[in-house]
Amino acid sequence: MGDEGPGSTVHLLCLAASSGVPLFCRSSSGGAPSRQQLPFSVIGSLNGVHMFGQNLDVQLNSARTEGTTVVWKSFHDSITLILLSSEEGTSELSLERTLDMVFGAMVLIVGLEELTNIRNVERLKKELRASYCLIDSFLGNSELTGDLTQCVDCVIPPEGSLMQETLLGFAEATGTAFVSLLVSGRVVAATESWWRLGMPEAVLLPWLVGSLPPQAARDYPVYLPHGSPKVPHRLLTLTLLRGLELCLLCGPRPPLGQLEPQLLERWWQPLLEPLRACLPLGPRALPEGFPLHSDILGLLLLHLELRRCLFTVEPSPDKGAQGSRGTRACRERRGCSPPSPEAQSLLPCARARHGVAAGGSAARAAAAPVDAVSSEPHPWAAKPCHPHPTSPYPVPLITQGQAVNRRGNISVSLFIHSQ
Amino acid sequence: MFQGGKNSIPKPAPRNLEDLDSVQRVLLHSDLEPEWLDSVQRNGELFYLELSEDEEESLLPEPQTVNHVRFSEKEVIIEEDDSRERKKHEPTLKRFTKILKSKRLLPKRYHKKNSNDNGPVSILKHQSNQKTGVTVQQRYKDVTVYINPKKLTVIKPREQLKLLEVLVGIIHQSKWSWRRSGKPADGERLVVHGLLPGGSAMKSGQVLVGDVLVAVNDVDVTSENIERVLSCIPGPMQVKLTFENAYAVKKETTQPKRKKPQSSTNDLVKLLCGSEADGTQHSSLGAPHIIMYLSLQLQSEVSKEEQEILYHYPVSEASQKLKSVRGIFLTLCDMLESVTGTPVTSSSLHLNGKQIHVAFLKESDKLLLIGLPAEEVPLPQLRNMIEDVTQTLKFMYGSLDSAFCQVENSPRLDHFFSLFFQRALQPDKLHLSASPSAQQYDAASAVLLDSLPGVRWLTLPQELKVELDTVLSDLEAADFEELSEDYCDMRRLYTILGSSLFYKGYLVCSHLPKDDVVEIAAYCRQYCLLPLAAKQRIGQLIVWREVFPRHHLQPPPDSDTEVFPEPEGRYFLLIVGLRHYVLCVLLEAGGCSSKAIGNPGPDCIYVDQVRTTLHQLEGVDSRIEERLASSPGPCLSCADWFLAAPREKADSLTTSPILSRLQGSAKTATSPTCRRTFFSDYSFKARKPSPSRSSGGCEPGEGGEGVGLSPHTTPDAVRKQREADGSEDSMALLKLARKKSTLPNPFHLGNSKKELSEKDVEVYNMMKLTSGPENTLFHYVALETVQGIFITPTHEEVAQLGGSVHAQLIRNFHQCCLSIRAVFQQTLKEERRRALRGGDCPEPTDSVSSLTPVKEHGVLFECSPENWTDEKKSPPVMAYWVVGRLFLHPKPQELYVCFHDSVTEIAIEMAFKLFFGLTL
Repeated sequence: MGDEGPGSTVHLLCLAASSGVPLFCRSSSGGAPSRQQLPFSVIGSLNGVHMFGQNLDVQLNSARTEGTTVVWKSFHDSITLILLSSEEGTSELSLERTLDMVFGAMVLIVGLEELTNIRNVERLKKELRASYCLIDSFLGNSELTGDLTQCVDCVIPPEGSLMQETLLGFAEATGTAFVSLLVSGRVVAATESWWRLGMPEAVLLPWLVGSLPPQAARDYPVYLPHGSPKVPHRLLTLTLLRGLELCLLCGPRPPLGQLEPQLLERWWQPLLEPLRACLPLGPRALPEGFPLHSDILGLLLLHLELRRCLFTVEPSPDKGAQGSRGTRACRERRGCSPPSPEAQSLLPCARARHGVAAGGSAARAAAAPVDAVSSEPHPWAAKPCHPHPTSPYPVPLITQGQAVNRRGNISVSLFIHSQ
Repeated sequence: MFQGGKNSIPKPAPRNLEDLDSVQRVLLHSDLEPEWLDSVQRNGELFYLELSEDEEESLLPEPQTVNHVRFSEKEVIIEEDDSRERKKHEPTLKRFTKILKSKRLLPKRYHKKNSNDNGPVSILKHQSNQKTGVTVQQRYKDVTVYINPKKLTVIKPREQLKLLEVLVGIIHQSKWSWRRSGKPADGERLVVHGLLPGGSAMKSGQVLVGDVLVAVNDVDVTSENIERVLSCIPGPMQVKLTFENAYAVKKETTQPKRKKPQSSTNDLVKLLCGSEADGTQHSSLGAPHIIMYLSLQLQSEVSKEEQEILYHYPVSEASQKLKSVRGIFLTLCDMLESVTGTPVTSSSLHLNGKQIHVAFLKESDKLLLIGLPAEEVPLPQLRNMIEDVTQTLKFMYGSLDSAFCQVENSPRLDHFFSLFFQRALQPDKLHLSASPSAQQYDAASAVLLDSLPGVRWLTLPQELKVELDTVLSDLEAADFEELSEDYCDMRRLYTILGSSLFYKGYLVCSHLPKDDVVEIAAYCRQYCLLPLAAKQRIGQLIVWREVFPRHHLQPPPDSDTEVFPEPEGRYFLLIVGLRHYVLCVLLEAGGCSSKAIGNPGPDCIYVDQVRTTLHQLEGVDSRIEERLASSPGPCLSCADWFLAAPREKADSLTTSPILSRLQGSAKTATSPTCRRTFFSDYSFKARKPSPSRSSGGCEPGEGGEGVGLSPHTTPDAVRKQREADGSEDSMALLKLARKKSTLPNPFHLGNSKKELSEKDVEVYNMMKLTSGPENTLFHYVALETVQGIFITPTHEEVAQLGGSVHAQLIRNFHQCCLSIRAVFQQTLKEERRRALRGGDCPEPTDSVSSLTPVKEHGVLFECSPENWTDEKKSPPVMAYWVVGRLFLHPKPQELYVCFHDSVTEIAIEMAFKLFFGLTL
């Protein structure tokens, strides 16, 4: 079903701007990473045209063919990223944002110092390998929209206040200000400090956690592209249930060993049921029984001030089945939970029941209603402040989008049946 | 310039026995020759434009000031007596010319009227402009220089008067002077051997060494008679020197940059006629822009600089940078096509802090590029523009190659693209109209409407349509006497394939296939003929050229033998304009008419016939005008009304007595549904006149002044007026209509009277597009691709609505529609691709991917008045939708509407209402 043929391929090229040495090339075809690579001569000339223009004070930004879009962007005069995408309906804007995210991801992993001041290309290449996983998730079909909307993907958890309280208590107990609870890359609950993270990393960190192969616990050094691009921090992750992870961003303390299973158990064991109810929120974002009209097929809610977004294409379970049958718009997606034989959890009783969570990834196809969401919708904006293409097949859809952007800076998009 | 009386509308040339069928014969009877005949170019093309007398008068002073400025820079003293003396002296020179001619001293070179080059009286394109034209124009160039014989008194004349040197500043060394071998060569050519520093010729900057002076004020000169001719110049004046260039070289940027006062009144005419030097007008267009035609095949052995550039324009600084990076475009074109398998369509780059979009169009091994700043021209528009340009160039020249690769075309292309860039970068300048609101509307809507594959259509009442049809059919039948084959005893020259009649830029009647009419309209648009006809009364416009209509020359490949095979003929386009009419006629030579040989010029008889047809239509224009003012399209609301008083308006409407009265009368209607529509229609019918009145003079009490409509009608006045609308009876309406007659529009009075008398009839015709009790429709554009037409509110309707917010809304609407349409075009492209692929596998298995096509796209906007002074209250907010809808079945149609947020609309219903009964 998800087969798109050879048409939709994405190639990302990363080159050292000064020397033109390729640092890495990533490709994805039909939403999944692929090994298919562009010939070296093509890479050379793609970089060549950009450099040629730069020498003449002309900045080449993008080029389009009938089916393909190419975007060039150079960062700090040392890294040139080239993205070539033949997905249907891609816009320059979304590709440019993807490149921003990719560069953010590179900084996140290796730090800005390494990138702006390339001394050893071979070493940098090796270091950048760690970021492939994250970068591939931008190129492929993700269920998250943060790269496009530049807002943090969230879910509405059942018993949210209880979870928030527990999180705050846990943060205090560990002495860390930056703590959050994530379910497959979306934020369930987070501390105030976490929400105050700057823009690229606020999206990148959950995205990183969602894209890494499942582990019971991690201690991961990260640079914050906005907050501290040159000094690394530690990102600790603790898997509570499969797909549900607790993240802590901290300095040298506390060491991972101090976060003993007993501590987790004390704080999170009482919340096992609500936590378990969070698991299907990965793709759905809305808790069971959330009052929503049954004709709504998809939903994107943006809070532009808080920079949070809520996105789902299967708002109710029964509709979810329908959605997986046919609904698809701008992006084709694949199930984002990686199929791992051994789901590791730090909570003892969850380990026995990990099979429950598997049902959540059944629905795969999804629709993303966003072409471009301008961060400052203006009544006289020349660009549509909120376009929403619909696809009337097999069920005829009628556009009934709604853009509410008065005081609260909230945008909502709805997909509704015509009948 | 000397013949003031020549500018009247010419009477149709008398058709008596002798002067019949061909240009040549008419030439023999030179007394009867029509005035446009002289401007027919060697290749048969003609572009002749003459404004009507009243327009001329308004334009007349302008060119003179141009001359003043130009010459005052150098010789200030003579300035003041220049104009006075000119009147005195010029006739003398002319008399002199006549004398010479009558004595047969002058060989007849070519007929050319003096009146040509001074612009206003009769403006001949390609003659006043030195750069343009083909053989004649290329070999000959006219340079106007200032000559002051009084200099002679200052400089002591030595033995031999060398007037040419002293007066004009041209040094000519005759063979005689340095060979001294014998007699002076009779009639030796006056080759420019040098230029005197500071002389008029050098100052003009257009005289080059090597040129040959052939005529002074159209008097042919040789070394023999030059001194005599020059000595006849009585006083300081401008003299036109005609040079023959030895090599028909394309001139580079040597033209001096003159600053000319740009008056807005006749810019359009000037541009059209190419009377302004190209370099000058574009110095004002500072933004980088370029058109290039590049060859992708490089001969490596010849490493000539810039050999891949086959054509580029402009030559100004603005394009230099873009020209220098053409390597990028060539590489992109080559590489991306090989990687992706599809040709490059566009690219964007940053240059001096400005974003520039470049559109690509590849044809075989040539590449056409157009670059324009993103600020002025969004990418979808640029894509449309390049396709439009290509289509028109192919229509004019057959193919891009023949357009760009022939040297003699380049001056004409320069003119074409100077118009093109003018339209793209300074659209306001070209859309001149009487009222600023209509001008605004034009400029705002051009973004979208120029790119639609259709022609703006005005629906006419049946009887008027029949009348126009009859007139056009009569013309097309071509059974007028002179054209009958028996009469001339020869095959007729052309078959008339069909004709299209435009009135003020609206297509009112067309007897041409869709493809032809779209191409012809695109041609007219590129040359700004339609806006010209809308804004100014044309005295006479005649365009003649060979064209290459795609529809006839490239029949679809799948045509079977059943289909009528197109004859291998040649096609000619004849456009004749008169007043606000423009009639385009497509002629075919070959087939059943005689074959065209060489480059035939326009045939007088055909021109006369077409002009006569237009004269026949003279009586009809008042009725078309009336239709323009109150088109049968759906009623519109003004956005300002909704901002003004959202509540009271609804109240006043529902409680108005006329409505209740109507409800009673509506009982006669047969079905209940009918009654409902009848009722709601009527309510808006009753409201309809209100906008016009609000622009005219609001209330009887407020007086009849107010012709200059205020953009901010106060909420109160509007409301009052609306109430008045409801309650007033016909007498009041009539009274108001009288008051309104102070309006500049003379048709208003008759119009409203008619509305009264035909009210009952019109109730059925009036249409309300939106549902609900309120008329919430602000604007619409409906495109019908099968017939190649679109309808949209007329200028008059929009002008009636007025309103400052509304004007902005319209601008925003068109821009939004442009991006919506870009999405639709993508959809159509994919649909086509899918159809191709679908041919292989019968069952559309890829149901997943067929979900992507966008059929409807809506955007919600919000607006509030711009300068809201009341600080206590927050400004009122109005939300409106811009919705585009694409229909593929039964036939491709596109609909764009803009309506208020209060009512949910279903685009299909609206489209049905709008397209119903819309036939050519």
